[in-house]
Amino acid sequence: MAMHELIRLKEEFTEKGIMICFNGPFSHSIIEEIGNAVRRRLEGEEVRKDAIMDVFAVYIEQTQNVKNYLAGKSFPVKNFNSAIIIIARMGGKYAISSGNVIEKTDTAALVDRLERIQRLDREGLKRLYKEEIRHEVPPGGTGAGVGLIEIARRASEKLSYVIDEIDETYNFFSLTAVI
Amino acid sequence: MAPLDLQPTGSSPKVCFDPFTGILELSGDSYPENSFDFYTPVLSWLKEHLRETEALQVHFNIVYMNSSSIKCVLDILDLMEEAEAAGKKILINWYYDRENPRALDLAEEFAEDVGVPFHIIPVEG
Repeated sequence: MAMHELIRLKEEFTEKGIMICFNGPFSHSIIEEIGNAVRRRLEGEEVRKDAIMDVFAVYIEQTQNVKNYLAGKSFPVKNFNSAIIIIARMGGKYAISSGNVIEKTDTAALVDRLERIQRLDREGLKRLYKEEIRHEVPPGGTGAGVGLIEIARRASEKLSYVIDEIDETYNFFSLTAVI
Repeated sequence: MAPLDLQPTGSSPKVCFDPFTGILELSGDSYPENSFDFYTPVLSWLKEHLRETEALQVHFNIVYMNSSSIKCVLDILDLMEEAEAAGKKILINWYYDRENPRALDLAEEFAEDVGVPFHIIPVEG
């Protein structure tokens, strides 16, 4: 990357309030390191403890969701197994965004799930969460299956998501939660 | 009975049973790479211990827990509820940072779901 591109990239990050952006394969240690860096930075800026906890929790659920999904897939195109995560601050709010490749065949179920979550209010989300966290985890399962509900419960606005088509087999899924 | 003494890592809590006080302590953050792998040995230990003991106290001092850890802790609380129903003396103390309302929310949601004595105790953060 040429030097003048780097300054433009930095300006863009500053303008968009991007505190951290990671683009690459997610490993557990990377998730942990980035999460701790963000937490320490917010603590240093004396952000309220509940806001720090919400940002951290949404970040963890989002990255672990993506990592578990990609780990179960092992896409033949190497770059497809990597993802992007961004934490940005706009005014007094924080936006946590993640983006990753998904199989087209998984898209309908994901969109149904998100739409169902979007329709619920705070009480409805709590009820669904309490019901689903008790479900049996299928053998080899790596999570409780309630990550998206947990993210929606912590967010102060409705989640926003975009599905972009990559080719006939794959889509790109972007999800943003605002705290 | 094997001792239970797991030291904390960046993303997994300290889990330790003191045979002298009879207190099982869980403290720190909990968002391990695979919560089920982490908590399965804890659950097995607890099942065996509850068969042999008449009383157990569990002290939680957890700052943050991801959703799959919450699921595993619900399984721990279920075992304690069964033990109490079988006539054992069970008590849970949940310590939380009084400056962190989310830590209180977490404690209260657990308290809603468990039928054993559950004390929520504020501490200085």
